[in-house]
Amino acid sequence: MFFKSLDLTTALRPLLLPDETLLFVQDAVGLYEGKYKIPDYQNGHAYLTSHRVCYIAAEDPRKFSVAIDLKEIDRAEYQVSTVFENMKAGFLKSSPKITIYPKPQKSKTDKSRSATSSPAVPSSSTLHPGKPLSPLPPSIAPQPSPSPKPINATWICPICSFSNPVPSNFDPATATATTNLPPCLACGIKPPLTTVLKAAINAAASRESPLPRPSSLPACEHTSSTTSNQSASGSVSCPRCTFVNHPSLIECEMCGTSLIVAASSAGNGNLHVESPAPSFEQSRIPNTEVSETIKLSFRAGGEKTFHERLKGALVQRKWLLQNAPPVPPPSQSSTTSAPSTATLKSPQPAAPRPTAVGIAGLEQRGLEARMNNQLVIGNAFEDLEALMASAKQIVALAETLARESGMSSEGSAETHAVLSESVAALGMVTTKDMLSSGSENLYLSELARNLAEYLTDDRKGVLQREGGIMSLIDLWAVFNRSRNGVELISPSDFQRAAELWEKLKLPVRLRRFKSGLLVVQRYDWSDDKTVRQLQDWMEELRQVPPDEPVPWDWTVFGRAVTAQETAQRFMWSVGVAVEELEMAEDRGALCREEGIEGLRFWSNRFTDSLAV
Amino acid sequence: MATTTLFQFPPTYNFPPFFTPQPNTNTRQAQLQKWSSLIQAWCRHHRQYRLSLVEAVDSPLFHNAALRKRLDLREARDVIDWMVKSEEEGGGGRRAEWIDSSSSGSQGPKSVAWIWWRRPEEWADVLVDWVEGTGQKGAVLTVYELVQGEATVSQEFHGMDNDVMLKALSVLAKRGKAHVFGSEGQEGVKFF
Repeated sequence: MFFKSLDLTTALRPLLLPDETLLFVQDAVGLYEGKYKIPDYQNGHAYLTSHRVCYIAAEDPRKFSVAIDLKEIDRAEYQVSTVFENMKAGFLKSSPKITIYPKPQKSKTDKSRSATSSPAVPSSSTLHPGKPLSPLPPSIAPQPSPSPKPINATWICPICSFSNPVPSNFDPATATATTNLPPCLACGIKPPLTTVLKAAINAAASRESPLPRPSSLPACEHTSSTTSNQSASGSVSCPRCTFVNHPSLIECEMCGTSLIVAASSAGNGNLHVESPAPSFEQSRIPNTEVSETIKLSFRAGGEKTFHERLKGALVQRKWLLQNAPPVPPPSQSSTTSAPSTATLKSPQPAAPRPTAVGIAGLEQRGLEARMNNQLVIGNAFEDLEALMASAKQIVALAETLARESGMSSEGSAETHAVLSESVAALGMVTTKDMLSSGSENLYLSELARNLAEYLTDDRKGVLQREGGIMSLIDLWAVFNRSRNGVELISPSDFQRAAELWEKLKLPVRLRRFKSGLLVVQRYDWSDDKTVRQLQDWMEELRQVPPDEPVPWDWTVFGRAVTAQETAQRFMWSVGVAVEELEMAEDRGALCREEGIEGLRFWSNRFTDSLAV
Repeated sequence: MATTTLFQFPPTYNFPPFFTPQPNTNTRQAQLQKWSSLIQAWCRHHRQYRLSLVEAVDSPLFHNAALRKRLDLREARDVIDWMVKSEEEGGGGRRAEWIDSSSSGSQGPKSVAWIWWRRPEEWADVLVDWVEGTGQKGAVLTVYELVQGEATVSQEFHGMDNDVMLKALSVLAKRGKAHVFGSEGQEGVKFF
């Protein structure tokens, strides 16, 4: 299990992978490695997604944020420590904790095994099965030696089936057919190279696999170095039958129990007695391997829901979908919907489609699509669970239907486009459902982050399309519509969330015009910039001769603009354009002309020197 | 009052926002300043000392036919009001003065104003310069002579409004440079 480094969004939330969904958020969470607190990771948000458990510190989130892949988690236990139950976990009172146990690193073993089982000469990369696949920081990397020397493997003689030790100087990386191999100790026949090679590699791989890999590699080094030296410094007693074995043996001579576990766990225990601090430097937490348990301490509650959802996510194994290219729809949560959802989108890419050409083929495809749709709709409404699971597809389907029936023609085309693309945002929205009840503040701050992400997402470009500024009411409408009528946000919650942007240092800001209109804009956008934009535009207009002769000197005065023109030019809404023009007027950059045609704005030639 | 040359309007006169009261204080000040100089220039050009707003709003001064823009009576009053105020009050430096409705007919309050393209004090200076330049110190002149006499034809105050001349003379009297005597309509003045 690894602490992975974590990419954050602009709103300082974890950047989700494709198909990853947010399941739960809880603030005021601390991290423990084993029994010990990890410094600087004691107050943050825990995000549970369908793929990961993420921790993001409240202070300095870019520096202190880590994630653990769910696929590397074996199980999670929920513990309420009290004084009586567990004296070590807390003194008078301790926060409830969730303990996460890492999986044994079986996958690596499998990989190396399958790679080397072929008789071909193994490539060098597979010959270092002891090396973790993910990069390790240098502090951890100093493993005894990169080449798998300390292998105490046995090979079985193909003739007499006697178990011979693989010679200690045998290096699978360099071994060739010409390498001198010692003959079988029993029958004296030289073994074929592949037998010894396989044995050596298998031994190296299985040495990695035993579960509680000591967090302290030194402990591991200890056992291996003793074995390679064959020095009888310490004999290992079997944990099961207590037979005292020779230290170089990996299995008990009597009962066959693996001895590595015993040796390493012994070393592990010793280590923590010696140094009761987390075994790695805190600055290097990302990409650090964790062999011990990780604890999440919930100081502000929420642990029950977190645990529940974590268990759910571990069962669902959504990450399995991540590597499957022909996207089988991401709903494995309910067994009832699974078969049906698999038939959506591309009907069974695996099954060879009967080839039909021409109109018959088109008709057939149409028929298939209709049947699929029917299946999806039918299954979705079977029960609520199923509906939740196939919500994404239902929404997609509804959108397609809407587009086909031409419903999209009404309303602003751009806003609609934003809306229809924003279904992708569904996966990212925080609903009240994701938070434990009563945590109103957390809900608001999550909503604020949510909104900030929604606004700054370059793919959707909501804010950009609206010219970098958008009235809060428009945003509220678009955002709520993007939620497709589920978990709508009340206007007051929305405004309160928007007011939190500044406090949370998010890249969007709420701004109040003097008329009281609330707008949303990027944090680095200022009035000065707007004024400059307007002035540049005015200057531009001054260069263009008017279509009709005008009574004034256009080379000096240019021409007037209306709020509508401005809105069009800068892609603002008219309300925003009026406010911005008045703001510019307020700053003396523009002046107004009221006439029968309405209100128009001119570049201010009263206060500048050009017009006397 | 007849003029031969055409009044040259400043470029601002053709600036459409010129005819809309500006809400921004700074812009408004600049706008009023421009109006003030336009009105003064206009009156100077036309040798006009008093401006009747009711008449003026239809004159080219307040009505730009080309732009089809005009300053209506109320806005024109605002401009004159501003001109009346001293600079300390944020006004236009007493470049105008309302004439009491009682003395100027029945057009209601604030309908006629003096436009001081030269303030009485400035006129007084002009008079002193002329008197000294022509060596008439100690001479006695009638006001009629000053305003309409042949000797002052070349002077700026020739053909000046009688009331303005009297105001200027009274300024001089206060300074002790002149003495005004005689009954109304037949005033004489002695310069010291």
